[in-house]
Amino acid sequence: MSPVLCANYPTDHKAFVRIDVSLRIYWHTLFDICPELLELSGPDGMSIFRPFMAWAGEKKLAFDWSYYLWVYVWLRQSPFKDRLLADDKYLRSIMAASAARWAILDRGRDCGIVIGCADTKNLVIGWKCRSVRLGREIELIEPEEPLPAPPDIFGYFTLQSFELDIFPGWQSLAR
Amino acid sequence: MRLGFNFTLGDTYDMVQRLIAERHIDYCEFLIDNFFCVDPNELAKAFDCPIGLHIMYSKFLEADRPMLVDFAARLRDYIDALNPIYVSDHILRFSHEGRAFFHLGEIDYSAEYEFVRDRVLQWQEIVGQRIHFENYPSIMDGGREAPAFFERLMKETGAGVLFDASNAVCSNRNCGTPFEAWRNVIAGAQHFHVAGYRNSLIEPFISLDTHAEALAPDTLAFLENFRSVFDKPGATMTYERDDQIEFDDIVADLKLLRNLFGEPEERRHDLALSA
Repeated sequence: MSPVLCANYPTDHKAFVRIDVSLRIYWHTLFDICPELLELSGPDGMSIFRPFMAWAGEKKLAFDWSYYLWVYVWLRQSPFKDRLLADDKYLRSIMAASAARWAILDRGRDCGIVIGCADTKNLVIGWKCRSVRLGREIELIEPEEPLPAPPDIFGYFTLQSFELDIFPGWQSLAR
Repeated sequence: MRLGFNFTLGDTYDMVQRLIAERHIDYCEFLIDNFFCVDPNELAKAFDCPIGLHIMYSKFLEADRPMLVDFAARLRDYIDALNPIYVSDHILRFSHEGRAFFHLGEIDYSAEYEFVRDRVLQWQEIVGQRIHFENYPSIMDGGREAPAFFERLMKETGAGVLFDASNAVCSNRNCGTPFEAWRNVIAGAQHFHVAGYRNSLIEPFISLDTHAEALAPDTLAFLENFRSVFDKPGATMTYERDDQIEFDDIVADLKLLRNLFGEPEERRHDLALSA
């Protein structure tokens, strides 16, 4: 998964292209969905993508729906930290992207996921498809009475109906 | 040959209705696990045509039995409500050593046959239904072993193959799997997929199953050369389009398929009655 290791393969070999194709999916999954991040990195995204993927490999991240949230965790301890925290559009985009990815990939019985972050009082909810005429839906909630902040940078809980009517406490992200 | 269209989410609902109304398609294929939070009765009433059910994320090679039992219980509600023409799934890897792939991972056909066979038997037993498994658009040379793998799998498990013609074209272009090697698989299959593909961005080019382009000339030539092997009573072919979804482009491809295979038996009967 490391873009650096890709260089171990000759570029005129199909195996190199196979790895390149796979890595591009990770790149596009990040920057097509959160294009704001390219403002931080420059247009090729590589100053974020390469070190993040190497860090994610070291941490043995699962690369599940929380992919984007871990990018934020990495950015927060990177040279991009000050610019990242200066504008909450990055965080909004990242939380929405992870909520959407959960709604796309999760096949459990839950209907929605609520994501919270220690850097904002706002919540993002991802809803699975609830009608044949609809897609998945992402909602930004600005609660009148904020929930307690998650103990880690991010926390989440899932909803068993299409109502936000519970707060069972925050779950930490799995690696 | 009945022609269908893949319905993956609500944003193509109106277009699929139009494809049905204008008789460009004869059935619709739901990517069913995308709709597991939708009432089965709502899905059953969604389209006035027969339905196929295609599973994307059962992960039956990787998931433990309780997860599969729960997935199958929900799937069963849709099978009972929609009485589908077929139920199909994928033989894929979704992760490696606990890390999720963002692409779909091809299995090792020679090393994993027994494991996959046992999992296929288990999965069909849990669902309580014959399942048709889709072939992969191979890139690496191991793809040459896929035809014999699927042929043996059909014989030893009673499963069907959902034969994706354009995946076989990608496999032919990428690793040289001969079309002829698929003859017995195609002859034994009743349900098919077809779609566009494109080349990778860098050389040496590999062909990627993207579902975003028009049908390629070599895909159409493959269908034409094997037309009599594909076409059989009850056969279905789903045209897949997941990106660049333009009604006129899709209809143009569907017309090519209709011209190639002719009106399906049921439709010919309808036409005779209306005449």
